[in-house]
This record gives sequence, C-alpha cells and structure tokens, in this order.
Amino acid sequence: MECTHVQDLISGYIENELPRELHKEVSLHLETCENCRLLKEKVEELIYAFPELEEEVPFFVKNRLYYIPESQDNIIEMESDRLYLKWIAAMVGTVVLFLNLFYFTNIVPPANRTLHLMVSGIKTLTVKTEGIYEKVKESNKLFFLSSKNGETEPNGNEDEDNKTKNSPKKSIEKNGGKNG
Amino acid sequence: MLVESFSKKVYNLALNFAGNKDDAADMTQEIFLKIYNNIDKFEEERNFSSWVMKLSKNYCIDFWRKNKSSRQNVELDENLYTNSVHDQALTPEDSLVQKNDITYLRQKLLQLPPDLRSLIIMRDIQDYSYQEISENLDIPLGTTKSRINRARLKLAQLILNEHKRN
Repeated sequence: MECTHVQDLISGYIENELPRELHKEVSLHLETCENCRLLKEKVEELIYAFPELEEEVPFFVKNRLYYIPESQDNIIEMESDRLYLKWIAAMVGTVVLFLNLFYFTNIVPPANRTLHLMVSGIKTLTVKTEGIYEKVKESNKLFFLSSKNGETEPNGNEDEDNKTKNSPKKSIEKNGGKNG
Repeated sequence: MLVESFSKKVYNLALNFAGNKDDAADMTQEIFLKIYNNIDKFEEERNFSSWVMKLSKNYCIDFWRKNKSSRQNVELDENLYTNSVHDQALTPEDSLVQKNDITYLRQKLLQLPPDLRSLIIMRDIQDYSYQEISENLDIPLGTTKSRINRARLKLAQLILNEHKRN
C-alpha cells in the first residue's frame, strides 16, 4: 500500500469507519512507515484537542444578540420617520421656492393684473425736480446766449421757459392711461 | 429561542475562524442580523439549522476574504481563554499550559484555507456528524469526508514541519 493512499484513509482509520480488511492493511503499513505513523498520531492528537477550542458565548455577546430584533424595529421606525420628515422638508422647500419665484418676478398673472390696474389708475403724476430742472434751464439760456453771440438762432422756446421758470413742479396730465 | 439555540454554534464558528474574541463578537452579531433580515427567504421545507450554519459559514468566509490583507501577520488575542468545564479542575499552571496550547492550535487553524477551516471547526470543534455537515453545506458525503481528512492532514503536517524546524 502506498503512503498517499494510506494518508487518504487516515481519518477513516482513526474513526473506525474502514472495512476490516482495509483497516488491517493500513495497520500493517503504519507499522512499517514512520512518516505515516507520525502523521496518524498527530491527526489523532488534533482530533482529541480540538473540542477544547469550543467556548461558551460571553454574556455581553448574548446581550447584544437579544437586542437585535428590538434595535432592528427601532431602525425601521427611525427610517420611516426620517422618510416622513424628508417628504415634509421637500414640500416646504418647494413651496418656499415657488413663493420666492412669484415674489421676485412678475410671472404670476394675478400679480401682473393688479400692477397693471394700479398703474393705469394713476391720473396725475407729479415729479418734484428740487431745483435741478431750473439749473438745466439756466444752462439752456447760457447756450442760447452763446449761440446768439456766435450768430446761431435760438429755437424760440423762451416763452415756454418763462412759464416753467417760476414753477418748480412740472405737472403731467394723464387721462387714465387712455390717449385722446 | 433563536439566540439560545444557535448563539454557541455561530459564536464558535466565528471565534475559530477569526482567531480573536472581538472579531468573533462582531461577526456573531452580524450573522444574527443577517438571519433576522433574511428569515423571510428561508424555505420551510429546508432544515433551519442547515440554513443558519450555511449562512454563518458563508459570512465567515466573506469576512476572512475582506480582511485578508490586514491579516497577513495573524495576531492572536492574547487574552483568549476557554470557559470549558475542564478549566475548573486544572491547577493554574496546567491552565496556563492548556491556554497556550489552545492559542497555538487556534493559530495553526488560521493557516488553513477558509473552506477547510470551516469543515474542521464543524466536525472537530462543534462535533457535527459528516452527514450533518454534508447536508448543511450542500456537499456530497464522500467529498465532505475527504476534505476533512485533507484538512486534518494539512494541519498535522504543518505542526510536524514546525517541530522538525525547531
């Protein structure tokens, strides 16, 4: 019998699972082959030693295991809560975004209509010039004077200038947005 | 019920697979979490114990593969000890010797490929029969026996070679 064949049968030999004839043959080989005998003895030793590696489960591990179903339920609950909150946040965000959009732009028809009605309802628009208008007129006169000296003809708007000179306010008549 | 029935088997599989208690505790917890999450996938006509052990073994192998790079130099937990009943009858010196033996044996076990290691753990540490292992892991009976024999021979050879070198 060859060593490799004997080694294939070593576990069966140790555990007494081989047919009687085969068991005898292996025994004969082991008597003569030191290498196979040593290997068989070591395997036997291991088989006896291995059960010592088994340990009791530490209490802290057991505790952790007992809490798994509960913690799983909590996780599921937390996840559903989180999902619910996410939806609310998304909805609020969308509403705020749209409100901002309508507030800063005039894309909303009702707002446009209100603005239009408001503007078209103005009949008299008064512009307060605070003296700037007069300064412009003065500069116009200077221009006319200089143009006379330079033999340039004025446009003859002096009457109009005199009319407006004494009134710091200029009034614009508006007929409710309709001309005519 | 589930914890009482399977915690010891799962924990010992994890412990002897990882070689240290911290990893074993985390692995056991993860395996139970997997069991709870996948319990609806369990087919009733199958053996529940087989399903649990197969799931545990697959998890352990995955864990080992994922952490392979960080385990090139296997460091065993120095505080590993057994709570077996044998300890109670031993003197402190004997206990120390035994503790070293166990650490040494566990270290050697880590040198086996994961597939063979799981078979040794189930057969020689957890005392499953060949038939049970074959059913649990869906491997033919003959293959189970020959693989377990191969694993034992490999381990014995490793130890003998080390003795020769020393």
